Amino acid sequence: MATVMAATAAERAVLEEEFRWLLHDEVHAVLRQLQDILKEASLRFTLPGSGTEGPTKQENFILGSCGTDQVKGVLTLQGDALSQADVNLKMPRNNQLLHFAFREDKQWKLQQIQDARNHVSQAIYLLANREESYQFRTGAEVLKLMDAVMLQLTRARNRLTTPATLTLPEIAASGLTRMFAPALPSDLLVNVYISLNKLCLTVYQLHVLQPNSTKNFRPAGGAVLHSPGAMFEWGAQRLEVSHVHKVECVIPWLNDALVFFTVSLQLCQQLKDKISVFSSYWSYRPF
Amino acid sequence: MRSSLQAVALWGRKAPPHSITAIMITDDQQMIVTGSQEGQLCLWNLSSELKISAKELLFGHSASVTCLARARDFSKHPFIVSAAENGEMCVWNVTNGQCVEKATLPYRHTAICYYHCSFRMIGEGWLLCCGEYQDVLIIDAKSLVIIHTFISSQSPDWINCMCIVHSMRIQEDSLLVVSVAGELKVWDLSSSINSIQEKQDVYEKESKFLNSLNCRTIRFCTYTERLLLVVFSKCWKVYDYCDFSLLWTEVSGGGQFFAGGEVLAAHRIIIWTEDGHSYIYQLLNSGLSKSIYPADGRVLKETIYPHLLCSTSVQENKSLPFVMGYMNERKEPFYKVLFSGEVSGRITLWHIPDVPVSKFDGSPKEIPITTTWTLQDNFDKHHTMSQSIIDYFSGFRDENGIAVVTSSEYVPSLDKLICGCEDGTIFITQALNAAKAGLLEGGSLLKDSLPQKVLKGHHHSVTSLLYPHGLSSKLDQSWLVSGDQDSWVILWDIFTEEILHKFFLQAGLVTSLLMSPENFKLRSHQVICCVCSDHSVALLHLEGRRCLLSARKHLFPVKMIKWHPVENFLIVGCADDSVYIWEIETGTLERHETGERARIILNCCEDSQLLKPESVLPVASETRKHKSVEQRSPSSYQFGPIPCPGLQVESSCKVADAKCFSGPFNVLPVKTKWSNIGFHILLFDLENLVELLLPTPICDVDPSNSFYGSEILRRAKSTVEKKTLTLKRNKTACGPLSVEAQAKPVSESPAQGENTMKLSEENDVIKRQKKIKSSKKMHPKQSRKVNANLTIDTAKLLLSCLLPWGVDKELDNLCIKHLNILKLQGPVSLGLASNEDHFSLMLPGWDLCNAEMKKDYSKVNLFSRKVLDLSNKYTSTLPNQAGMPRRPENNSDSLQEPNTIFYLLSKLFLVNKLVNMPLELACGIDSSFTMESVHKKMKSPGNDILNISSFYGYLRNGKSESHLPEADVSLLKLISCWKDQSVQVTEAIQAVLLAEVQQHMKTLTKKTVDSEPVLVAENGDYEMTQILPKTEWAKEPELQCITDTLPLQTPVSPVKHDSNSNSANFQDTEDMPDRCVLEESENPGERRHHLWIAKVCSCKLC
Repeated sequence: MATVMAATAAERAVLEEEFRWLLHDEVHAVLRQLQDILKEASLRFTLPGSGTEGPTKQENFILGSCGTDQVKGVLTLQGDALSQADVNLKMPRNNQLLHFAFREDKQWKLQQIQDARNHVSQAIYLLANREESYQFRTGAEVLKLMDAVMLQLTRARNRLTTPATLTLPEIAASGLTRMFAPALPSDLLVNVYISLNKLCLTVYQLHVLQPNSTKNFRPAGGAVLHSPGAMFEWGAQRLEVSHVHKVECVIPWLNDALVFFTVSLQLCQQLKDKISVFSSYWSYRPF
Repeated sequence: MRSSLQAVALWGRKAPPHSITAIMITDDQQMIVTGSQEGQLCLWNLSSELKISAKELLFGHSASVTCLARARDFSKHPFIVSAAENGEMCVWNVTNGQCVEKATLPYRHTAICYYHCSFRMIGEGWLLCCGEYQDVLIIDAKSLVIIHTFISSQSPDWINCMCIVHSMRIQEDSLLVVSVAGELKVWDLSSSINSIQEKQDVYEKESKFLNSLNCRTIRFCTYTERLLLVVFSKCWKVYDYCDFSLLWTEVSGGGQFFAGGEVLAAHRIIIWTEDGHSYIYQLLNSGLSKSIYPADGRVLKETIYPHLLCSTSVQENKSLPFVMGYMNERKEPFYKVLFSGEVSGRITLWHIPDVPVSKFDGSPKEIPITTTWTLQDNFDKHHTMSQSIIDYFSGFRDENGIAVVTSSEYVPSLDKLICGCEDGTIFITQALNAAKAGLLEGGSLLKDSLPQKVLKGHHHSVTSLLYPHGLSSKLDQSWLVSGDQDSWVILWDIFTEEILHKFFLQAGLVTSLLMSPENFKLRSHQVICCVCSDHSVALLHLEGRRCLLSARKHLFPVKMIKWHPVENFLIVGCADDSVYIWEIETGTLERHETGERARIILNCCEDSQLLKPESVLPVASETRKHKSVEQRSPSSYQFGPIPCPGLQVESSCKVADAKCFSGPFNVLPVKTKWSNIGFHILLFDLENLVELLLPTPICDVDPSNSFYGSEILRRAKSTVEKKTLTLKRNKTACGPLSVEAQAKPVSESPAQGENTMKLSEENDVIKRQKKIKSSKKMHPKQSRKVNANLTIDTAKLLLSCLLPWGVDKELDNLCIKHLNILKLQGPVSLGLASNEDHFSLMLPGWDLCNAEMKKDYSKVNLFSRKVLDLSNKYTSTLPNQAGMPRRPENNSDSLQEPNTIFYLLSKLFLVNKLVNMPLELACGIDSSFTMESVHKKMKSPGNDILNISSFYGYLRNGKSESHLPEADVSLLKLISCWKDQSVQVTEAIQAVLLAEVQQHMKTLTKKTVDSEPVLVAENGDYEMTQILPKTEWAKEPELQCITDTLPLQTPVSPVKHDSNSNSANFQDTEDMPDRCVLEESENPGERRHHLWIAKVCSCKLC
């Protein structure tokens, strides 16, 4: 069988040597590089409780859209939580200016950021287990580790790139609407989410559908951004979205984090590819 | 997997990889359950001497298992719950390996705790789950539906670990959790049950920041009710439960990571690490020393410090990480066990002494390993039973050993199994014969005569195979495409064994070969798509013998291939959710998209129906399934699409099972993730087999008989009987009504033929559907008549696999001689399906797992001890032992064998149907004893049973069997009440088979006792019964009694009859009857033997 695997014994010896180098040196080099990148990424998320004590720093983001300036928002991000929010809404009909802010005592967790951060720390934890001293014995072991790390990283990335698709009743029921002081008027809905590297704020203006209205009532399904005309039932009322305002702002460190995710995913895949070259060996020749 | 499918695993010599990610020991300390990265669960038998032996593998999860937990009060229901990386949850019955409940939620759990509070809670209890989501989910243990959540008001975050604290002192159960950020939270459990059931928000009672990350375990000391042990990856801490003040911190040294811990006794704890070491500490009171902790700023009343008593470690061949656990049992027959599972699949046990002490000089003592075991050990120990399907190839190969199969494909239309080997050869062989050679005794004789072909052309291991004709009948039947590790793809003619063309792709290993759907044609032909390990994709045009396109831009593994026939695009979806669109004609990359847009492109292809299942990789369908799951759940912002790691055939079992195959026999190659070890599963379709076997005997045997009338009569009777059942289920009531029934069929019999449909109008729709289905299947049957021999062989192989060889030597011999089937080499690894995609496969050596069975029946193909009892019960319920398939035997000896086989198989099918019947129908037969409820209950099962039996009548189609529906009913009742006693399908099947075969053999023996002189008389009697079918059926038993000139005395006591419906009596009679069987069958043993020789001789003459 050995003759089939490699043309000559010498060639085989070289291949073996190469594979041993890959397992003992190259893998650790890549893992170290991965750890560095991911640590850098996790620093962006400003983990609470790690290292420096005291409150995490606050960042203010001014949200706007390139088109109209009907909605303006200033959101304050503290780690993974929104600690303050100021939303100014110019009503389209009467140009009346509405202003809401978060209650002082409340914070709103941005679940997407928290999840992404936790996924990254999971990935780091997986890698930290295999320090220099640890010897990989089979290629399959490396592949399994890489798969586990990539799973965490892909999830981290997907949490940021794919915001939740919520139905309008779900938005209405969410705790976010109860965060404001003074309370939001009943004809307004607010949603905050992360989409890629942007912090987005959507404001839906609603109007009540008359029970005798001839309009065909069809409740809208889940969506990231509902369009005007979407209908839903809330309480005893049937409501329709009349206006949608979306404002957003780029969060620079989220952009960095996404780049780090992509780079580390590619690193992982490349390491997997390198191992796979030797796939004919690792499965039955453990070192 | 369809319910009528019977699966037999041919494992081979190498155990499938099982990288343990979760491990637990059941409460009765008789079984170890492990979950693996590959997605399977393994049940290991743990003997009272702490010996381990693997019993069965449970298939069902398509991703890595993350955690295991008890799912019920174990003494009542031996259920455990498993959760997987992709959100799947399953509740398994670990005694029989069946999946009881399953669900896929958009949550990934990392820990589950079962909680039940009998006096405050309705239902089966809760599963408290935590994982990659905020806070704690409460899931109903029975239905796996989310009931509610425990919400935290302070900094909600993912929860790492939790434990339930039952405090006797404060009479309150609490839930203690530690979050990812290191926050300890406490919820009241028992006092918040009501508010949870009313869906009110329950917030945490207390919360404290612990100042460490990566918490692994939290444990409460039930002995002192004072200490709290919290293990972090870099340190472990002891807290005072009363005020959560820190008592001690022990930091890990030497780069070790702690993985968990447990409280052994008061002030004694055990801590284990990721690399498989464990340490037992005594927590000593430091007496007067008081220290101030800056985090608290409070003076502690007492401070403790740990003293290392003992340690354990594993052997050198360690692979990270270890999952460990500790089982603390104070009751006598149980042990204190520390257990660990490795990624390599090894389980290690340490028996921890009740009072661990250090050495005399005070240095820590090393506790030795008690047992260690792997799956491979099982395979090595019982390797005679773990035949692989191609083992006999080694016969003609040189000394190098067994050929390792790297890919295989089964062609049902030719019954050929094609195996590609590691050294580049491809074997083509008759699958059924190969299976026989692997399984049966004397099968080795077959080896030499096996027609097989060897294709030599590859120089490296063959990694993928494709038989194009199997996917599209338009393609040449002789073509086979194979791809190897060296990127060669060869087109073969399998009949002439010639190489038609060799393609060199100049890419990586060919991981899979796919064919374009039928609606996608290029130059009027379908094309072959090769996916390579370097993420490239090549298209081959077989007719033109040329490579059309090689697409090499992909950075990540290819997950999905789609075809756009109108514009000639090839759409490639990669693991990183990016999409590449290639123009096939020009070979240019048309577009590359990522993120949301890529998703839209892939989805809209689906909508336009361009996607054919054949063209999608198994994994693709897998991921799609997940997406749909996520879309369904409303607040599914938990994840985006889940990437499945690696382009692997991990779900091949599922995919192939879901695929409807037409034949009665199929071979399913299964490949495992991250390795090239594979095994084969033989699938027998009982229903199909019965249908295929059906026509041959009738057409040829007795075409002139009046069986048509009798058949219709019988069917009519059974329909009427059904009515009587709905009215009143009473044996006496049957008599008069059935007389009425006879009038009807007489009037209807002239119109017979297709009239049966009319008759069935009265019946349920189900029955009609079944009939239509079966009549449809009649057509291909005729054309497949050529395969009659194959069908018989398949049936024989199935019987061989199911018969309890070795229980009764005489019976074995009779079977071999009379049924002309071969004995098994060893106990067979049977599969048991619980639903479409959850099934279990026995592992080699499963037969030695039951402690009681080991004594009497080693190397016996007996599925469980219960089989014997069940079979006895069945025998005793048989109304007229002699009334079975006697007539055909009498008619001509040459025909009796297929007839008997058919009879047995149809019985098995019936049993299978009954046991698999939906629970609502069968349940409640024995739940209460009042007459009224018995009446009520009998309605539904009776209905269904009769449906089946009348369906059977139809299937048998005039095969003159004198089966009384009444007798049937009691048998059916018996079988359906087995279901309540959690009798497995396989057990029931084997029991019935055993009983029927015993009966059958008895009648044969008896006949030869009476032999020639009586024969005439007997024949006369039979003719009478054949003439008489229109007379009172209820009199039949008497008639039968008369014909039984030598009735074999088996216990047909009315007492027993009644007891059958009563499960309580089962235990009482357990020991008795099975001794009975053995004695019974041994008594006439010798005599029978001689007679049999005579019988065989006469057979041959005929």
